[in-house]
Amino acid sequence: MEGWLTKITTNTCLNMLRGSKRRPELTVSDLSDEEDQWLEDTLTDSGQPSVENSVVAADLADRLLSVLSPEDQQALLMIDGEQASVKEVAEATGWSESKVKVRAFRARKKVREAMERLLGAKQEPATSESR
Amino acid sequence: MNDKHITEVLDNAALAALSPSELDEIRAHVRDCEPCAEAFAAAQLSALVIKQRAQAMIEPSPFFQTRVMAAIREQQAVESVPAFSRLWKSARGLVSSMALTTAALAALSFVVAAPATSSPDQTTAALSAESVIFGQDADDLTYEQVMNAIYEDDEDR
Repeated sequence: MEGWLTKITTNTCLNMLRGSKRRPELTVSDLSDEEDQWLEDTLTDSGQPSVENSVVAADLADRLLSVLSPEDQQALLMIDGEQASVKEVAEATGWSESKVKVRAFRARKKVREAMERLLGAKQEPATSESR
Repeated sequence: MNDKHITEVLDNAALAALSPSELDEIRAHVRDCEPCAEAFAAAQLSALVIKQRAQAMIEPSPFFQTRVMAAIREQQAVESVPAFSRLWKSARGLVSSMALTTAALAALSFVVAAPATSSPDQTTAALSAESVIFGQDADDLTYEQVMNAIYEDDEDR
């Protein structure tokens, strides 16, 4: 019963995500001031753990996830965010375990590369200013 | 591992799932490899924000519950229909077209193509070895006739 309900809810979430707008790429200009500041603080280790900071981080995650397909978002959030096993994700979504692994790998790579681009773009002005 | 870039290791599993030895190897590698150091920093930040995102309590939209309930009702409706009916519903078109094709082929074989049978005059009577030896059809011979014919041959010699 629980598995059945989880599968239905997961599919409903996926259908809703499919309807949301997907961004092909994320740039620094897409970030809000708070998200920009959060990145800055985290990079310099000056950020204080707070509820507000958590909300900003979650918003930033939403932006990063928006470059992914709904299925990749689902796989990454369940495995990396909720520490679900590949088998659990496979059962909840109805995908094969190898499909879950491939989706999670692809999603992780895309998100890491998007974050790398954001960090690179943030460091560029700093290096040009120091020159 | 020091010669190999670690980006694939970073993408293969969640950072939290990596063993301490794997993390030590990654840290050792990124000390000398700048691209991998950037990738590792990005992976750490990504893992952090995704964890925050998973922990954040999100109020579902008002339509979410409605949609889930609709999906449940839909699923229940599908499951209440017997399996054979579902199968028939999906395969009805295919079965009908196959039946029509079979009927058409049967009509072509039996009705359209006229049977081209040969006349009895043209048939050649098959001659068995017995009928050649005994001068009559083998089916008409009795057991005694056959035995007599054999022993007569032996006496002649």
